[in-house]
Amino acid sequence: MSSIFGNNILGNNATLVGSSSSTAPSIFPPLYDFPPFFTRYPNASTWTAQRAAWSSLILAYCKAHKLWQLHLSDALETELFHNAALGRRLKHQDAVEVLEFMAKEGQVDWIDESNKTGVNVWWKKPEEWGSVIFDWIDSTGQKGSVLTLYEIAHGDLTTAQEFHGMEEGMLKKALGVLVKRGSAQIFGSGEEMGVKFF
Amino acid sequence: MGALPSSNRISAHDRAVLNLKVQRDKLKIYQKKISVILEAEHSAAKALLAKGDKPRALLALRRRKYQSTLLSQTDKQLETLEALTSSIEFALIEKDVLYGLKQGNEVLKQIHKEMTVESVERLMEDTAEGIRYQKEISDMLAGVMTNADEDEVEEELAAMEREVNGVPPEVVLPAIPSAPQTALGPSEEGEKALRAKERARARKAALERAVEEEPQPIAA
Repeated sequence: MSSIFGNNILGNNATLVGSSSSTAPSIFPPLYDFPPFFTRYPNASTWTAQRAAWSSLILAYCKAHKLWQLHLSDALETELFHNAALGRRLKHQDAVEVLEFMAKEGQVDWIDESNKTGVNVWWKKPEEWGSVIFDWIDSTGQKGSVLTLYEIAHGDLTTAQEFHGMEEGMLKKALGVLVKRGSAQIFGSGEEMGVKFF
Repeated sequence: MGALPSSNRISAHDRAVLNLKVQRDKLKIYQKKISVILEAEHSAAKALLAKGDKPRALLALRRRKYQSTLLSQTDKQLETLEALTSSIEFALIEKDVLYGLKQGNEVLKQIHKEMTVESVERLMEDTAEGIRYQKEISDMLAGVMTNADEDEVEEELAAMEREVNGVPPEVVLPAIPSAPQTALGPSEEGEKALRAKERARARKAALERAVEEEPQPIAA
């Protein structure tokens, strides 16, 4: 496979080098400044590599900006999919295909499966989020106490935590992992959901 | 309540705490809303004042004032709610402590049950009995021995003591040149007899003392 998106050029985007335009360390890979990156390649294997590059860029971008969800129509206008300096953007159809690929990998899931207008972005897997939350509970001596979901995602105590501001549906999923592990119990209903940790 | 099949690990207390916390969250959200309104009214008043519409600017400021009194009221309510929540949590901990104390008390009681006063008394009586018996045996043995035997035993003990203390058993002095062998003081033989008599007396006294001091059995 000798494509321009071959692994030797792309790497796995493990190291994200600063882009030319900004002084602050940027999450954009050098590829972001490469115009063909924004156009889907007809060659299947090249497209696979291109797709992989896009998915790691999306995860890195969402992590850096603490974005829990991407709404396609809005996101396509942001710098993530639209390189204003180059005047290039990823087409809606191609973006959907990238996200579908990511959904298969468990990196995102569709908010509405039928319309595919947006996704939850899992730059940490639900299992990882579960562990992060549980570690926080454990280290702050809150085992055995009852917390509301709002308190975990938006409370004053969690502002310094990575999961602060987490989208509610995603938080439920992460807590669901802990319930399965037997270290948490979700109770209450509707708006008034709470969780007890063990 | 509880649409989910919640297990019995969730108690009524947990639900009560959750309810309080939900109320607290609602108040916090309400406060956020009011803060936004305060900001909006402030900028509205500013804009109106810039346009020269003083009365409406005043109105906006009045509305703002009203909202800020609401804000301070919710602050008080929040305080009450949080105080209640933490006292419930503290009471739950106290309950646990009480439970722990109860458990410890049970164990202590059980141990005491195995250690009654009667059994201790019986044990002490048995011990006294044993001591008396032992004494009887030694008395009998002492009675069997003659004074002479006793003397020999004590001589042996003294010799042993000397050995242990590192004193040579007999200091052999060089023979003194012959001197007139007139008996001035008590002869050596006489001295020995005197010592034996003294010892016999001491033993008798000791025996009498021991009988007096014999441990009295504890009154049942």
